[in-house]
Amino acid sequence: MQLFLEYLFAGISNGAIYAALALALVMVFRGTGTINFAQGEMALFTTYIAWGLTTKNVPVVLCLLIATAAGFVLGAVTERVLIRPIERKSLLATLIVLLGLFLALNSLDGILWGNQNYTMPSLFPNAVSSFITVGGARLYWANLGLWIVVAVLVGAMFQLFNHTRLGLHMRATASNRESASLSGIPVGRILMLGWGFSAAIGAIAGVLLTPLSPDSLGVGEMFPILIQASAAALFGGLDSPGGAVIAGLLMGVVEALLSGYVPAIGGQLQEAIAFVAIVLVLLVRPQGLFGSKEVERV
Amino acid sequence: MTMTSDSPSRAPLPLQIGQGSPVHRSLQVLGLAVLVALAILGSRTNSFQVGLLTQALIYAIAIAGLNLVTGYTGMLSIGHSAFFGIGAYTTGILVAQHNWNPLVTFIVSFLICFIFGLIVGLPALRIRGINLALVTLALAVAFPELIDRFPGLTGGTLGLNVNLTQLLPPHWTGIGIQNRFEYYYWIAAVVLALVLVLCANLTRGRSGLAMRATRDRETAATAVGVNLAWIKVFTFGISAAVTGVAGSVFAMYLGSLSADSSFTLTLSITLITGLVIGGVATIVGPIVGGLAVIYIPHWTENLRQGQTEGLFFGTILIILMFVMPDGLMGLLKRLSRHVVRIKPRAPEVAMAVSEELLAHRDRSADPDPEGKGDTTLAVS
Repeated sequence: MQLFLEYLFAGISNGAIYAALALALVMVFRGTGTINFAQGEMALFTTYIAWGLTTKNVPVVLCLLIATAAGFVLGAVTERVLIRPIERKSLLATLIVLLGLFLALNSLDGILWGNQNYTMPSLFPNAVSSFITVGGARLYWANLGLWIVVAVLVGAMFQLFNHTRLGLHMRATASNRESASLSGIPVGRILMLGWGFSAAIGAIAGVLLTPLSPDSLGVGEMFPILIQASAAALFGGLDSPGGAVIAGLLMGVVEALLSGYVPAIGGQLQEAIAFVAIVLVLLVRPQGLFGSKEVERV
Repeated sequence: MTMTSDSPSRAPLPLQIGQGSPVHRSLQVLGLAVLVALAILGSRTNSFQVGLLTQALIYAIAIAGLNLVTGYTGMLSIGHSAFFGIGAYTTGILVAQHNWNPLVTFIVSFLICFIFGLIVGLPALRIRGINLALVTLALAVAFPELIDRFPGLTGGTLGLNVNLTQLLPPHWTGIGIQNRFEYYYWIAAVVLALVLVLCANLTRGRSGLAMRATRDRETAATAVGVNLAWIKVFTFGISAAVTGVAGSVFAMYLGSLSADSSFTLTLSITLITGLVIGGVATIVGPIVGGLAVIYIPHWTENLRQGQTEGLFFGTILIILMFVMPDGLMGLLKRLSRHVVRIKPRAPEVAMAVSEELLAHRDRSADPDPEGKGDTTLAVS
């Protein structure tokens, strides 16, 4: 039981991060109809910024806020400068631009901050002894804090989507851009905001995730997480924020339990397994579990 | 990818050359002669240069394969590093563990990768666009993990080494062990030539039209009778097979394989970069792309070790999509149209009807449908 709970806790922590990034991917997808390959690298870039500030003795909370703001600006600028002019051309062109951004940001991280790994200080008490015991298993404050922040973040996003004017505009833009524009919604600004929010969520996820294990801030940190998050987003349905969160959590937990109890397919093969499972799901339900069916007007 | 269409102005300058006319034929022969001359010139450089050129040719083969599926049929594949790897490991395993002649393994690679391509193409029947790109991304990520998982067959993380004596040029070539890179160079060049002929034939005529129609508008393509399922799966298969053969040549050239260093996602992105630089949906584009992805890092490596390559490629990818979405060959093709135009032969009636339908599918369509054979081959 104790072991199970420990796997579960680790799974929920990873799952919360997948869920947050999957939510970010879904926000971009709903607005622009593309997967942001650079989502993980944007998050990593802002995490580096936060880490750089902590080395200058800036309080971690302030670092988180600055990184979030930086993420917002990065996302919004990316949409305005790189995506909007190109997305008219074709999906392929957009994807290639995002691949380029992925590659460029990743190398830029390496150039600016070097190839060694760093340890990021945590927002929450992170000593070896700072845990509470639940059913005999250790639950660290850093994990608990992460869950709370992600839960609040997800809650706020749903509040924003469903109960504010801005959210209404975002949903309208996602469902039909032309009609939204005709009813006076500033579609361009809404898309920029969507990308900004999405990159800001990524930044928060990065700053929360990195302190969980030592020496984890490095140029390769975010890519595997992006893979899992995009698998989760696909699984839940690319246009369904709720689906993304549920699928993200589910994937985190299943992954942790699998690598805990079935070592033969855990560890290195996790990403492959996750994806194979998801491809199979997509073959049966191409729109994902909670996604809406794509209807094409001829 | 929509082509930017230039207005079909009839200025006096564009010389009209009839397709298949003596002038056109001799231009084609001249173009071919120039390519052969360049290839011979390349083999006469020092062995370091020959090595680099061989790599460029290998990448060109791989890019030509990617071009079929991404350039002509419009399905972005981020998974071609895996096909490249499967081809390389097929050759590596057959030569190192079963003493096969390396050249014979190319055929096996082609067939195995064709089958893998068909399997990967199957999801394309139900999964489209962005989701399909993610499925191929999964393939790219999973491949190195799978290789490491079966060390008995693949050497795992330690890598797979082929004994050099099994890769030496045969006696009749008269190439000694110290010049063996020249042998690999010619193998790569010949394979590339065969592959380009294959691609040129596939992308012209009915199958080429069907591929392009699938890319530009699936629904309209179905309406004019294109068998979407067949075109998608078949293109994936052939594309994977071609890229797999590139992997085979690579295995022969390098002699030692390691999945974690050679066949990762980075390779896929490199291939896409090469495709975009050279020009999507052009026949000669992959050669330009192959040269670019080898020589640009080579020339820029003095700036700062390793790191700048990614930044450079990433930035190039982005800038190219904005200013030159058709790549170098696309640009050249467009410019050359102001000087020389190849007037297509009057097509057969059935063909003309389907082409007309295709030409009207979209107002932004190129006024000169490309299915009439690749005219740039002769001009460049």
